[in-house]
Amino acid sequence: MSDSAEITAAPPAPLLELRGISKQFPGVKALDDVSFAVYPGEVHMLLGENGAGKSSLMKILCGAYSADAGEVYYKGEKVDVSSTAEARKLGIAVIFQEFSLVPFLDIAQNIFLGREPKGRWPGIIDRRRILRDAKRVLDSIGFEIDPSVVVDTLGVAQQQMVEIAKAISQDARILVMDEPTAALSDREADLLFALIGRLKADGVAIVYISHRMAEVFAIGDRITVLRDGRRIDQLRPADVTPDHLVRMMVGRNVDMSYPRHFAERPGEVVLQVKGLSAATGISDIDIEVRRGEIVGLCGLVGSGRTEVARAIFGADPVSEGEIIFDGKPIAGEPDVAARRGIALIPESRKSEGLALLRSVGDNLVVAALNKLFPRRLYDPSDAQRTADGLIRQLRIATPSARQAVGLLSGGNQQKVVIGKWLAAGAKLFIFDEPTRGIDVGAKSEIFALIDRLVAEGAAALMISSEQIEICHVCDRAYVMRDGRIAGHLTRSELTEENIVRLGMHDE
Amino acid sequence: MSDAVVIGPIRAVRRLPGVAIVLVLLIGLFGTIAPGFLSAANLANVLVQSTILIMLALPMTLIIMTEGIDLSMGAVLTLTSLCVAIVSLATKSMLLGLGAAVLVGTLFGLANGWLVAIAKIPPFVATLATLGMAHGLSLIVSDGQSVVGIPHSVRDIYSAQLLGVPVPILMGVASYCIFHALLYHTRFGTYVFALGGNREALRYAGLSPNRLLIAVYAIGGMMAGVAGLLMTARMNSGHPTAGLGLEFDAIAAVAVGGTSFERGNGWLLGTVLGVLAVGVLRNGLNLVSLPSSVQVASVGLLVILAMFLDGLRSRA
Repeated sequence: MSDSAEITAAPPAPLLELRGISKQFPGVKALDDVSFAVYPGEVHMLLGENGAGKSSLMKILCGAYSADAGEVYYKGEKVDVSSTAEARKLGIAVIFQEFSLVPFLDIAQNIFLGREPKGRWPGIIDRRRILRDAKRVLDSIGFEIDPSVVVDTLGVAQQQMVEIAKAISQDARILVMDEPTAALSDREADLLFALIGRLKADGVAIVYISHRMAEVFAIGDRITVLRDGRRIDQLRPADVTPDHLVRMMVGRNVDMSYPRHFAERPGEVVLQVKGLSAATGISDIDIEVRRGEIVGLCGLVGSGRTEVARAIFGADPVSEGEIIFDGKPIAGEPDVAARRGIALIPESRKSEGLALLRSVGDNLVVAALNKLFPRRLYDPSDAQRTADGLIRQLRIATPSARQAVGLLSGGNQQKVVIGKWLAAGAKLFIFDEPTRGIDVGAKSEIFALIDRLVAEGAAALMISSEQIEICHVCDRAYVMRDGRIAGHLTRSELTEENIVRLGMHDE
Repeated sequence: MSDAVVIGPIRAVRRLPGVAIVLVLLIGLFGTIAPGFLSAANLANVLVQSTILIMLALPMTLIIMTEGIDLSMGAVLTLTSLCVAIVSLATKSMLLGLGAAVLVGTLFGLANGWLVAIAKIPPFVATLATLGMAHGLSLIVSDGQSVVGIPHSVRDIYSAQLLGVPVPILMGVASYCIFHALLYHTRFGTYVFALGGNREALRYAGLSPNRLLIAVYAIGGMMAGVAGLLMTARMNSGHPTAGLGLEFDAIAAVAVGGTSFERGNGWLLGTVLGVLAVGVLRNGLNLVSLPSSVQVASVGLLVILAMFLDGLRSRA
């Protein structure tokens, strides 16, 4: 665990130092006694899995969140960073993944938003000066572009450069970047690294969040690893190997065992995806799911997992490749997929999977109406019988089928979504983060349910960021990276470390 | 290269915004079928009649840029028009009438802004509620009757000329110039783009989106007050339903003019062209003696046509 006694071992004095920062959100401790220091002219890499606390730490740095406990020191003096304005005064600038740019203003207006040079009359902007000042800032970071170009017409990489220009123009001494290369090509990333080099030489301190191992070793001067809201270690790239870093990020989690009866030998192929590409950013996806299997689909958030699920379900158009379901090709809209027997159980079940104000019974039968009532006449007692049967079968904890779904717990809501597709006769269940927002006890019930589904002849494709769950529940798994399948892991290869290694950018 | 030369003119037309094409088509249509449409007197008449709509549609553009809407504008205009009539009748002063109208209009605008920014009521609902309140107040203060016998000083504004140009046209042009400067050359205008485009960016820049939003709606109310003077002058009376439904024309003009209802993309000149398209359409249909019910329906069609043309253009 973290050792808070060894904070200052390096040269001069830290430019900014956080000591013992804690931050609690309802139900989760986002940061637990984290200490962290950045020195002028260094690139400090911040590493951790999704949910390790990187974003929370960043938001505290820039004053968007205030910490529940802990202190912030700027050049050795205790300061209070309780608002973004104060953070800015200290020279802290953050470049978020979602840019803080206004699409229909030009580059110059964006760089100086809120700090426009005054013109001759009050409120009037000195147009010539704002363009000149913007040009100077853009030149200083080596970005050659006309500052009167509207931001909406720029590509992602160029918008990133505008963000950096904006930060530099505020005399930022501490620059925080959240996965800045996520949307950049290699060439653009090289330009960014060159710029980072120049900023370092100017004594700017850079906090750099990354998921790419190669970057960590290419530009990092120091590494802090976070896990579950705690600082696991702080070290130098020379003292560590990528494998070691991965192990630190994953940690040794408590043993969790979920009930799972692995099939001796899986049944016939239910879903076969061949060379699937879509405009949503996935390409060349090959996936096979057999009856009786739970197949994992993992990778970092944004690696294209959800996009694959949506393409299979027909929710996004496919540009290339083939999806064969139950022996026959499938293409078209979600209603086609649903009729053929594919169920997509979305991550945001509240907005996409359930009608929260309607009753448990209504929600359970809604996808099965055509099957239950082929003559298109609704029979309430029939519907009630079907709903009651499912409530018993899935052990949904509800006073009656008439209860509004919104009043149930997360785990029971999830069961209603599953039951809905079960009633419709689904043969393939695609789960997107099935345990998000569900407490530990309910999780194992959900997994028991999925296990029963596949034991009875269904097949499941499960997207999850919880690698440990994938490892415990899945027969095998595909790991995605940058919209492609980076690798396939069989049951015996299925470990958290292997998943992380495949999912990271280690070139 | 020779290809480019050949398709050049087509490209140029394609690059024209839908609203400009629509306006040209409408002028061509009515120039052909409506007798007297192209006469100088009639064209001046179109401009004069468009002034009130310009005064509503310009602030409406700003409001829509913030991803909002103001449904109360027509009803507030009616109320301010009555204020002009009643106050100028009582005091014999046009300026006091205008002052009262601007005050009442601005108060309604502030109320709209407060409801939207602070009370977080969706703009559609908030301004629908104030529409009802303004309409009710109009009926109360006028007792459901027209207010007649107002001073000449009010009426004369509509017919007066300055250097041979009708005063309403000058007021419309002045309004455009002021809004143009406000939106494109001031800090405030810059922040209006950000209100719809990226409100977080304003917050990170240490600005208060709520106060800016209130100001945008207040400007809308204020302009409804100024337009109230013209409305009373035009009718030579205050009438309790005079401006009802004008918000429809104003929103239509903004939509036709190519302002986007999301992400803060607005175009003031497009709004003016949209207002003129609506004005030309109503005037032309009048000349060929179609009833006003047809006019309302055709404004609806106009919106769809302009959207369709813009859609074609963005796909091309």
